[in-house]
Amino acid sequence: MKKEEITEQLATGRMSRRQFNKNLMALGATMVMMPMGSRMTQAASEDHPTVFTWEGWEVPELHAAYVKKYGSSPNISIFADEEEAFAKMRAGFRVDLTQPCTYKVPIWYDAGIILPIDTNRLSNWPDIIPSLKNIPGTVIDGKQYFIPTDWGQTSVLYRPDLAPEYVNNETWGILWDPKYKGRLSMADSLIDGVMVAAIYVGAKNPFNMTDAEMAKTRAALKEQLPLIRFYWGSSSEIEQALASGELVAATAWNDGYAKLKSEGINVKYMNPKEGAMTWVCGFCLMTDHNPAKLDRIYDYLDAYMSVESGVYEIVEYGYGHGNAKAFDQVSPEKLKELGFSTNAEEMLSSGIFQEPMANEPALQTMFEEVKAGL
Amino acid sequence: MTSTNPISSFAFSIHFKLRRLLLKSESLRGYSLLSPTLLAMLLGLAMPMLVLFTLSFWIQEYLDFIRTFSIKNYLDFFQKPIYIKILFKSIRMSSLVTVVTVLLAYPMAYYIAFRVKRNKLVWLILITVPFWTSYLLRVFAWKIMLGYNGVINSGLKSLGLLSEPLEFLLYNPTSVVITLAHAWAAFAILPIYVSLEKIDRSLLEAARDLGENPFMTFVRVTLPLSLPGVIAASLLVFIPTVGDYVTPSLVGGPSGIMIGNIIQSMFGKAQNWPLGAAISVMSMLTVTLMVSLFLWGTHNFRRQIA
Repeated sequence: MKKEEITEQLATGRMSRRQFNKNLMALGATMVMMPMGSRMTQAASEDHPTVFTWEGWEVPELHAAYVKKYGSSPNISIFADEEEAFAKMRAGFRVDLTQPCTYKVPIWYDAGIILPIDTNRLSNWPDIIPSLKNIPGTVIDGKQYFIPTDWGQTSVLYRPDLAPEYVNNETWGILWDPKYKGRLSMADSLIDGVMVAAIYVGAKNPFNMTDAEMAKTRAALKEQLPLIRFYWGSSSEIEQALASGELVAATAWNDGYAKLKSEGINVKYMNPKEGAMTWVCGFCLMTDHNPAKLDRIYDYLDAYMSVESGVYEIVEYGYGHGNAKAFDQVSPEKLKELGFSTNAEEMLSSGIFQEPMANEPALQTMFEEVKAGL
Repeated sequence: MTSTNPISSFAFSIHFKLRRLLLKSESLRGYSLLSPTLLAMLLGLAMPMLVLFTLSFWIQEYLDFIRTFSIKNYLDFFQKPIYIKILFKSIRMSSLVTVVTVLLAYPMAYYIAFRVKRNKLVWLILITVPFWTSYLLRVFAWKIMLGYNGVINSGLKSLGLLSEPLEFLLYNPTSVVITLAHAWAAFAILPIYVSLEKIDRSLLEAARDLGENPFMTFVRVTLPLSLPGVIAASLLVFIPTVGDYVTPSLVGGPSGIMIGNIIQSMFGKAQNWPLGAAISVMSMLTVTLMVSLFLWGTHNFRRQIA
């Protein structure tokens, strides 16, 4: 029956009950069938593993070999920080690979959500910087639970033209300067936010604070709250705000610096006198992974660990990469421009290396309360 | 043969009895017609509520739930000042949103109901146009409007009225109220429009014939008759906005957070589902109480002016 015919019959009331029911049934059957069609077209993406990662590390350039072999990127999901990722996975989100940082590996191991990785299946494993291979907590009972692929810093990214007095006095203290009220931002996270406050108040070990240090950190966060424009969840938020001058300073990773610098914006990445934070991130294989996709999972890992990915990450993001050979492919001038004055070994021994945080729930509760104005 | 006959006749009689019962009882017919929806409501609404309620009496112990009955979460809710404070802040903000939305929506609905003579449908569709895009997009649109280098700031700057952009436009409770009031406008306009449209025009004429001026006609005839629409609009805006968390987290900044953000973080980063459930239950109860008070108040008000 043609469409016009049906409409006309409906409009004039000439459609018999039987005919009407027949049409209704056809409509119902069509509705039921519809998802089947779309499921078939999605079949290709169902073969891919799901990678759960930070914004910026999902780009195809960082796993070019995988795209070349399988025609497209795997399924990607983005988290703002590992606490969010953890909460989602606890709530039943099944992923194959995640890209947390080292300080989370012991906790995730305790929670039983990660599995050891067979490094023999990774052709680029021998090229990984040796000192990254055995960061405490990532190798358990001689098994590798973590593939280090990215490293960098958490420090203050600021506009020297708007805050010139800090150029020769680089300190985390800029984030507490009442002069820049409403033009400062901090990461909405424990490791890159609350820990900054802990360093600022001079906690002996920010990652395992005494009660007195906790109280001081809380006071510092409270003092800072009215100065904060917003707590950021993704680096693009602070990049835009710093570029427009809405923000004067914010905690940031190296990528913000590299991106704004390449856009010709006058920004500086601090080397605070209290010490910048350094971190190493990489991949964990999830217990929930789909074993049928294991080949692709390892191919993705190997692609990410390759020299080509490393060069892209160093040049485009200003981050360090796990592959030692990647650095040889980048000119010394470029490395200097990006702020790589040190090699990985030196970087790991200088600055404040991000470690697992003791008593995370208490820290989280405290941060939530401070943000709520208490 | 002999063994199947009684069974089939029994089945037939059952079928017959059921059919008679169905034809006789109107309420049974009603329920059977309702049953798909009823079932969906039970599975999709009542069950999750029950789960939430149960969850709120458990305790989170780092990664696991302790499944013994406890009112610890409710004690936490009342003892720690944060939750009640944020809940009442959310209710204040939502009330403001409701008032602003209804005040802005009423003239629009009035215009369409009384002044537009032709193509009313086109006008109504035009009102829903902003809703053709996603909610997130509309919130971001407000971010662009109110932002530091946004439309308002750069407009005022190019007119020479400002030298430095205004910082108070975005990332505070006011920006949340503005965004929500716009986002929920259609939910207020449509019910008010319907109640205005239903008003018998001869009543207005009668009021004028009896010597009331236009303003008093509005106050004594139009407004009371359109109150059901206003009440519906207020509820449609107030109830969902109390629990909203997307808007405050995008345009609210540190001072603009609402109870939805707290609940979200309990189920997310803070990893304390039972406490999150308790806060949800308490905020639902509070909203119910507020709505009851509101309905009681408007009921009295209507009786007074009637």
